[in-house]
Amino acid sequence: MATLNLQNITKSFGSAAVLHGIDLAIKDKEFVVFVGPSGCGKSTLLRIVAGLELATSGQIIIDGSDVSALAPVHRGISMVFQSYALYPHLTVFENIAFPLRVQKMADTELNSRVGKAAEILKLTDKMDLKPGQLSGGQRQRVAIGRSIVRNPKVFLFDEPLSNLDAALRGDMRVELSQLHRNLDATMVYVTHDQIEAMTMAHRIVVLSAGRVEQFGTPMELYHHPATRFVATFIGQPNMNLVPGTVQGSDANGLTVALEGGGQMTLPVDAGTARKGDRVEVGMRPENIALGTGLSMKVRVLERLGGVSITYGELPSGQRFCAALPGDAAVTESGTIGLTINAADCHVFDAKGNVMRRRMAPALAA
Amino acid sequence: MVDIAERQPNAVTMAKRRGLSEAWFAWLLILPALAFIGVIVAWPLLETIRLSFTNADLGGESWVGLANYQKLLSTPKFYEIVGRTFFWMVLSVSFKMIMGLIGATLLNAAVPGRALFRMLIMPPWIIPIAIGCIGWLWLYNGQFGFLAGMSQRIGILNGPFEFLAYRNSAFYSAIVTDVWVGTPMVSLFFLAAMQGVSRDLYEAAWVDGASRWYRFRRITIPQIMPVIVSMALLSAIWTFNSFEIIWILTQGGPRGGTTTMIIDTYKTAIGNFKFGDGAARAVAIVVILGLFSLLYMGLLNRVNKHYGVK
Repeated sequence: MATLNLQNITKSFGSAAVLHGIDLAIKDKEFVVFVGPSGCGKSTLLRIVAGLELATSGQIIIDGSDVSALAPVHRGISMVFQSYALYPHLTVFENIAFPLRVQKMADTELNSRVGKAAEILKLTDKMDLKPGQLSGGQRQRVAIGRSIVRNPKVFLFDEPLSNLDAALRGDMRVELSQLHRNLDATMVYVTHDQIEAMTMAHRIVVLSAGRVEQFGTPMELYHHPATRFVATFIGQPNMNLVPGTVQGSDANGLTVALEGGGQMTLPVDAGTARKGDRVEVGMRPENIALGTGLSMKVRVLERLGGVSITYGELPSGQRFCAALPGDAAVTESGTIGLTINAADCHVFDAKGNVMRRRMAPALAA
Repeated sequence: MVDIAERQPNAVTMAKRRGLSEAWFAWLLILPALAFIGVIVAWPLLETIRLSFTNADLGGESWVGLANYQKLLSTPKFYEIVGRTFFWMVLSVSFKMIMGLIGATLLNAAVPGRALFRMLIMPPWIIPIAIGCIGWLWLYNGQFGFLAGMSQRIGILNGPFEFLAYRNSAFYSAIVTDVWVGTPMVSLFFLAAMQGVSRDLYEAAWVDGASRWYRFRRITIPQIMPVIVSMALLSAIWTFNSFEIIWILTQGGPRGGTTTMIIDTYKTAIGNFKFGDGAARAVAIVVILGLFSLLYMGLLNRVNKHYGVK
C-alpha cells in the first residue's frame, strides 16, 4: 500500500478555475475523506488523482513516484463510482473480473482473485446474477469488488453511498470501515455528507470553492475548526454564529459584547484583535443548556426522543438553535432562557478565521 | 369517505345513463380507428388474398383455386427471384449496419465540428428517393457519369462502362444506392443509442486499462445491441420491400438481374395486368415478412433479456 501526495494541484476549465493549489500529504493505510458542498471541487480533485482529468498544474505522487502524466491504469489506483458503473450485460462474476480480463490474466489466478473478493464482500452466491437483479447495496459491493481484484495502491471512492437509502447507507458505512481494516489500504473517499466523513475518516479534508479549508482528524475539525466555514459545515445541527464586538482582551481571554445584549469573556488566543473589532461567536447547539443568559423565542420544536432540537430567535432577531434534553420543558412559541459555557464557544474574526480555543477536549489533540 | 370520482359524472357514467354498457362505449371509441385500419389495411389485404385465387386480368376474373400458387411454386424463376431478394436484403442490410455503426462512432467522437457532420449525414435520407436516384443514374452513366469518368482517369477502366447495363454491375450498383439511402437513419439510431450509454462505464473501463477498441467491443456494442438488432430486423423488412430505388435505376433489369420479389409482383400485376398471379406473389411476400416479424419479436425479447434491458 502507499502514500499519496498532492503538490500544488490547480485545475481550470477554460477561464473558470475550480482548484487553487491543493497540497495534501496522505499517509500509508490512511482513510481520508474529501468533504465539501456541491461545486467545491472535491470530485474534480478525486478525478485528477484517478487520471480521469488532467490537472492544469501540480504533481500527483503515489508511493514516491510522480504519476501526473500516467494513464489511470498505470497509477496503481482503482475507483468506485457514484453510479456504480456496472456493466448491465455482464454477470456479477464478469463485472468483478473485468479489470483482470483486460489484463488477460490466466483463468486460475483470475478465478481465485474474483472468488476472494466475492468472499470478502459476501457475494459468493450472487456470481451468476446480472446487476439488474441486485439490490442497491449489492451493486455497490460488486463495484467495490471490481476495485479490490486489481490490488491497487490507492482506492478512490466517488460518493459511493449517495444512491442508497438512509438505512442502507448506515450499514454500508460500517461495511466500508471494516473493509478498510481488512484490506489495510490507503483510501480516498469523496462525499458531501458530513456524517460519512465524521464516521469513517481518519482525517478529513474540508474543501470550499477549490481550496482546502482544513485537513485534520474528525474531532480536530469539530473542536478546533480553522475557519467559520469548517465550523458551520461540521456538526449537526449547524453551529450558531452570534455577531459581537470586541471589548478588550486580557489573560482570561477575549471579552465580546454580543449583538442584542450580553457580554462574554471567551478563553481564546485573541491574537491581534482590538477593541471595536467585529467578531462572530460560534456556539454549537449541543453545548447549549437551559439556564439564564440568552433569551430565545421558540419557533419550532423537533422532539427526537433523546434530544429536542429547538429553533427560535434571540431578541436581536438572530436565528438560533439549541439541542436540549429530550424531555426539556419547552413549548413552541414560548420564551426560554439558555446558557453556554464560555469555554465551549468559538470566536471567528471578520475574515472568518478562528481564534484558537485554549481549552481543548482530550480527543481533539 | 366518498370518492370524488364517484360523484363526478364522467364519460362512462354518462354513457351508462344513456343506456350504453361500458364495453359498448369502449367499442364506440375504437370504431373510427378500426374503420380506418379496415379500409387502409384489412380490406386491400383480404382483397389481395381473394384475387390470388382468381385468374383476374383486364378481361374479368374467375375462381381458379390454388392454381396461381401451383404455377408460381413450380416456376424455377420464382426461386431464383426469392434467392436474389434474400441476397439483396442480406448484402444491403449488412452494409447499412456496418456503415451505420462506423458513421455513428465517428459522429459520437468528441471532434470539433461534430454538429456539422451530424447535419451533413442527413441529405440521403431527407431528399426524396426519386431525386436521389436520378442523381445516381447520372453517376452510373457510362458516357457522362462521374464513376465511369473517374475510373477511366485513374486507370481502372479502359473505356466507357454502363454500370446499369450488366446484370451483376447493375445489381451491386443498386445495392450501393440502397445503402446510401438507408445508412443515415441507421447511423442516427445507433448514435442515439451510443449517447445513452453512461459515461461512467467508459471511465470505469478506462481506469481498468481497457483500450479504445476493447471498450467499443465490450461496452458499446453490448450496450447498443438491442438497437442493433431492432434496426437490423426493421431494415431487413424495409430492404426486402424496397421498390423505388430498383425501379428508378433499372426497372428490374437488365434481363431480370435486379428483379426482386416486390419488382416481380409489380411487373406481373401492373405491368402484365395479371392481377391473380400478381396477388399470389404479394401473398408470398406477406407470408415471408410475417415470419420475419415473428422472428423479430422473439429475437428482440431474447436480446433485451440477455443485455439487461428491462
